[in-house]
Amino acid sequence: MTSTDVTAVSKPRAQAGWKRLLLSEYLVLVLTVFYFAVMWTIVPEIATADTLLDILRAMMPLLVVAIGQTFVLIVAGIDLSAPSIIAMASVVGASVLTGDGGYANGTGFEIIAGILAFIAVGAVIGTFNGLCTTRFNMPSFIVTLTTMMFFSGAAIWYTTVHTDASSIGNLPRGFIGIGQGTFFGGLPFSLFVVLVVGGAAHFILSRTVYGRWLYAVGLNPRAAAVSGVPVRRVIFWAFVISGVCAAIASILYTGRLETGTPVLGQRILLDVIGAAVIGGVSLFGGKGKILWTIFGVLFLTVIDKSLQLMGLPIASVFAIKGSIILAAAVIDAVRHRVLVRG
Amino acid sequence: MNGYRNRFAMLALQNAPLLLFAVLVIVFGLMSDRFLTPVNFLNIINQSSHIAIIAIGMTFVLLIAGIDLSVGANMYLSAAILGVFFVGMPPLVAFPLVAVLGLAFGAFNGFMITQLRVAAFITTLSTLFIGRGIALYFSGNKMVPFSKDVLTFGRTAYLGIPSAIWVFALVLIIALIVLKMTTFGRQVYAVGADPDAAAKAGINVRRVTFAVYCICGVCAAVGGLVSGSQVAVASSTFGFQKEFPVIAAAVLGGTSLFGGRGGVLGTVFGAVLIQTVENGLVMTNANPYIYPLVISVIIFIAVFTDSSRTTVLERLERRKIRVEPD
Repeated sequence: MTSTDVTAVSKPRAQAGWKRLLLSEYLVLVLTVFYFAVMWTIVPEIATADTLLDILRAMMPLLVVAIGQTFVLIVAGIDLSAPSIIAMASVVGASVLTGDGGYANGTGFEIIAGILAFIAVGAVIGTFNGLCTTRFNMPSFIVTLTTMMFFSGAAIWYTTVHTDASSIGNLPRGFIGIGQGTFFGGLPFSLFVVLVVGGAAHFILSRTVYGRWLYAVGLNPRAAAVSGVPVRRVIFWAFVISGVCAAIASILYTGRLETGTPVLGQRILLDVIGAAVIGGVSLFGGKGKILWTIFGVLFLTVIDKSLQLMGLPIASVFAIKGSIILAAAVIDAVRHRVLVRG
Repeated sequence: MNGYRNRFAMLALQNAPLLLFAVLVIVFGLMSDRFLTPVNFLNIINQSSHIAIIAIGMTFVLLIAGIDLSVGANMYLSAAILGVFFVGMPPLVAFPLVAVLGLAFGAFNGFMITQLRVAAFITTLSTLFIGRGIALYFSGNKMVPFSKDVLTFGRTAYLGIPSAIWVFALVLIIALIVLKMTTFGRQVYAVGADPDAAAKAGINVRRVTFAVYCICGVCAAVGGLVSGSQVAVASSTFGFQKEFPVIAAAVLGGTSLFGGRGGVLGTVFGAVLIQTVENGLVMTNANPYIYPLVISVIIFIAVFTDSSRTTVLERLERRKIRVEPD
């Protein structure tokens, strides 16, 4: 990283160092490390293995959602329905899995059936979002806003049909292991899931024709269409990918909580989009990388965890978190201006 | 163009939200004899007034292709300050002060967006957290009861019409005048349609942008005030995620998220439509769990017809130069 240049004696070189750091795609990571270092002096517990593992564990489902969101953001769309997909998939999946009269209970392959149910919910809602935006030219903000309202309501309704309790419990052990299990002496199993999803997403974005098409469509759909990119299909699949990613996150959340809950993930929507944008993904399309999204999610999670460790009341947590997001955004805006000026 | 059938289809599409509204009123009217009464009609307007007021402010922001996610937080902050600090104050002083606070909230958004060039989505996302945090700090994470004056205001009716509706009407009239009859109103549309062209035409785009966020801030605070006077206490989830029904109301009324198209009358219609559905569902004793389902389907239908109208229009107007790539 370029931070070593900053200590250089001559002033112009120091300035160049700052500029390079400011323009570097690792800026958010540097900010995170800097924030972490400052926090370390205030709450030393943040650097313990337990806390770090906690941060890792908290990051994982969020990261999967954010990776899916990145695809949609790159084509200049937005997917507000991700939390409702998480909720819906959670209760539908749990209704298949549960030992209290689940659809696949006792068949011997209930875990596979359950996982397929999760993914199916995500794929179906993603398909609906994609169809509406591409075939009927509806703005993705509104399409996904209505699917968000619909499925967060539907998830609660679905739960009331299946049980008198507020969630569907008694899930098989093997399934819970996906959300809670560990391997290599302590690393969460969800890390493995995220590595696969993240690796695949990174590969798609950087090494495939579809990846190039995503950026082309996001930068200028007209130009992309003229040069032969199947614009509608590209956008459509971005929404399906986002839906499936949300469903995978739902598997991790549900496994961790051991119940299918219709209010799962209600508050993560703005965190997910915020994380991607802080990482450098543009809301106006054409710009974004999986690595950036990872940095953004890491940044927000570290902030959340540190504020939690400091034992601050919820009021301060909100205010500080908001200020930090704003500060990061201001730095990003400054960066843009420097970039434009050259 | 292609005879009467086409024109009839266009007419239906053009007035799709109105048709939808008519169908809903008839259906609910048939299902419950308490629905189609003047009292209930007034009730619907009364209940929708706070959303409508905030959505009017949101319309200004959407017209310049902006967005304000912080209105719910602004609502809560205004209500919390009103309930905690302005207790002994006469309403004539306290209420305008709340509006000024809302203005300051909006001005902060506007400052970040126009001067520091932070994207509106991110600015208002962070002020959502900050505003809610400050409000929670003031309220101590507890219920905030309002003073007697506020409650009296909420319960009073003048000339048989509840005070909330008077405020709503006042906000609507001011907004209509500003948008339709002033230079500023035309500038808002111009900036929304094409900011570069507007700047070239000599419009101070930054000033217009700043102003619309201030307007949205005032409306959010007034909406919070009206809502607070109706519900008597502000819980810690007061105004939580209100930005979504507010934006939905504006879009339902035909305001485009991409700027330059729409208006406050449509927005008010959207807010009333949503409330009508909710009221109708209550009147017909529907299962409360399906409320959000029905409401989202109706919003979806309205937006769907709106965008298919745009598609049809485009198809009619397009000169056939090349085949539309798929």
